Amino acid sequence: MLNPFLAQQGGAIETPQIDYAAILPILIVLGAACVGVLLEAFLPKHQRWPVQVGLTLLTIVAAGVALGAYVGDAPEQGITTLSGTVAVDAPALFLWGTLLALALGAVLLIADRSVEPGGAFVAQAGISPGTVQDRAQVSSTGMQTEVFPLTLFALGGMMTFTAANDLLTMFIALEVLSLPLYLMCGLARRRRLISQEAAVKYFLLGAFASAFFLYGIAMLYGYAGSVRLADIAAATAGTDRSDTLLFAGFGLLMVGLLFKGSVGPFHTWTPDVYQGAPTPITAFMAACTKVAAFGALLRVLFVAFESTSWEWRGVLWAVAIISMAVGAILGLTQTDVKRMIAYSSIAHAGFLLVGTMAITDEGLSGTLFYLLAYGFTTLAAFGVISLVRDASGEATHLSAWAGLSKRSPLLAAVFTFLLLALAGIPLTSGFVGKFVVFSAALSDGMAPLVVIALVFSAVAAFFYLRVVVLMYFSEPAPEGPTVSVPGAFTTAAITLGVVVTLLLGVLPAFALDWAGAGGFALSS
Amino acid sequence: MLLSQATGGAALAQEGAGPGLDMYLPLVILFALALGFALFSVLLGPLVGPSRFNKAKLSAYECGIEPSPQPVVGGGRMPVAYYVTAMLFILFDIEMVFLFPYAVSADALGLWGVAAITLFIATFFIADIYVWRRGGLDWN
Amino acid sequence: MTPTYYLLLSALLFTIGAVGVLVRRNAVVVFMCVELMLNAVNLSLVTFGRINGEIDGQVMAFFVMVVAAAEVVVGLAIIMAIFRTRRSASIDDTNLLKY
Repeated sequence: MLNPFLAQQGGAIETPQIDYAAILPILIVLGAACVGVLLEAFLPKHQRWPVQVGLTLLTIVAAGVALGAYVGDAPEQGITTLSGTVAVDAPALFLWGTLLALALGAVLLIADRSVEPGGAFVAQAGISPGTVQDRAQVSSTGMQTEVFPLTLFALGGMMTFTAANDLLTMFIALEVLSLPLYLMCGLARRRRLISQEAAVKYFLLGAFASAFFLYGIAMLYGYAGSVRLADIAAATAGTDRSDTLLFAGFGLLMVGLLFKGSVGPFHTWTPDVYQGAPTPITAFMAACTKVAAFGALLRVLFVAFESTSWEWRGVLWAVAIISMAVGAILGLTQTDVKRMIAYSSIAHAGFLLVGTMAITDEGLSGTLFYLLAYGFTTLAAFGVISLVRDASGEATHLSAWAGLSKRSPLLAAVFTFLLLALAGIPLTSGFVGKFVVFSAALSDGMAPLVVIALVFSAVAAFFYLRVVVLMYFSEPAPEGPTVSVPGAFTTAAITLGVVVTLLLGVLPAFALDWAGAGGFALSS
Repeated sequence: MLLSQATGGAALAQEGAGPGLDMYLPLVILFALALGFALFSVLLGPLVGPSRFNKAKLSAYECGIEPSPQPVVGGGRMPVAYYVTAMLFILFDIEMVFLFPYAVSADALGLWGVAAITLFIATFFIADIYVWRRGGLDWN
Repeated sequence: MTPTYYLLLSALLFTIGAVGVLVRRNAVVVFMCVELMLNAVNLSLVTFGRINGEIDGQVMAFFVMVVAAAEVVVGLAIIMAIFRTRRSASIDDTNLLKY
């Protein structure tokens, strides 16, 4: 057999065409992440925090401006660039905008130092918890400013993940977004053992899931002879190939994607990691990772597996029902508010999957809108959680939240509004999101699933309302937590989340139009 | 077995004699360069480096850590610095994974390939600069 | 020698790795099992590349190797941090997070 490498030596290999304007937002984010690493290397300790915060915020704004400039005259049906490995189309642009806006809020939470002196992150991650040096660093005001470049790397990975048009690019993007998150989970200033434990759990399970994802890629490569989504779609039209490879590959691929979206039976890491990670990082993960994972899931299902939807739909029905049931029922039994929001995120993943399965334009735009709405609500919710504190840090046990309206009426009102949005009460974005997703599923012939979903939304609404009742109608504990007065950063992040949640609930038309601006780019 | 190989090698050499022999010139140059580099590195060390002796350097496998029995200090575990070095080694290992395929098809990739691989190496060295500045290369 | 045998070997290695992740208790061993799974995938990729008569499979194997190495670096750092605190790498001892 001729060595393919040698065979190529004769002629020049064609260089890929790159549409720099289209991928400029990703390039800005990843480039700034590299600059951030260099700043870490050369700046003296006391200058790092202000410079890194400035750079990170500036980067996200600059990427947003580049995105806005491109959206204006982007071709309607989208383009593929970098030899067809990256597709920049209407859903990708919408998800990039969502991710950048959510990351802006998350970075504001990460950068906040008013609630806790020095911020939510440990000063020196290398010091073992429980030692003398560790007790000394609790009161120091330093922090590991590496968090900022890591956030940018994760954001760049998420943006690539939603635009990846072949499975190999998708896998690399998955790792680029996951590896920084594993590290950031372990950097909490308080309760460091739990934080490190969350990092280990997330890492081991995440690596396990990406191995499944990768084996799925190998199977699909064997089936279609290519990992391009469009080529896989073309291969499913022919019938002479082994269906075993196709469905084994599809199933394994889904395990990896559903794990990242914390769906259904692949959710076991979610409560532990959400509880253990520093709250700003939990906000970042809950909002942005969900958007990225479902963005990629939508693209895979719509572009590569549209024609086989009747074969796989039954399996995903089961997954969606399990996810909604686990989230809604186990959420009822939680006593920790961060874990409760984690189970809520599992239930929401089930609702999102209902919309994703409707392979129609309404399903696509509905799911995109739901992601936007859910991201901002959950971001603001974690922002509020970071404010309720006692001597040992955040007071996340639900008993500490009793009678909170008497201590801080404003905070209780804001949190109530966010919980109502998560429950899907009218005049909030959660209601509109559920409405568009369920109506898309209904019109695609999934009425039984929609009924089940409605039942579980009612069950889930119960545990949100339980917290509301606890905050308003219980007597506050005598030595209960205090509500910190947030600084400018946290205030801005929570305000952003609340305003978007309200606006999308009252005037959803603009965002719905944008979400429905167009489908995926199908050319390879 | 050995004999057949030897004769086979001789036959091959005879075939290679004549006009085809200059094909092997780059190979000879490569050998010479490799030999020169090895001699250069081995000889330069004692000449310019400080010479401090310790027991570990005299042992059979000199890789920076004490062989068994493990040191009592630290519970018989490897020093952390060893792992940092191991991680750095893995990073350079990764770099080679991409440099080899590039080197094989460098001609076909042309100037664009040079630009791409330069960008790759530059990005890669950002991580090294970070490790170097933050003391990852200091053994103590 | 049909390529199918390589695919079966790959599936076997992947399964051994997956079972190892589920039954072993030492974080480092669990992690090595994940690496075994990734390398089993590499074998599949290279075999499918051979069946399809192209080098895409080999190129993908390169990328997988790189990602696996990056994972090793990050993973060992995390496991080391927890090991230094608890003097044990058993994942049964990491039990603070329960519901």
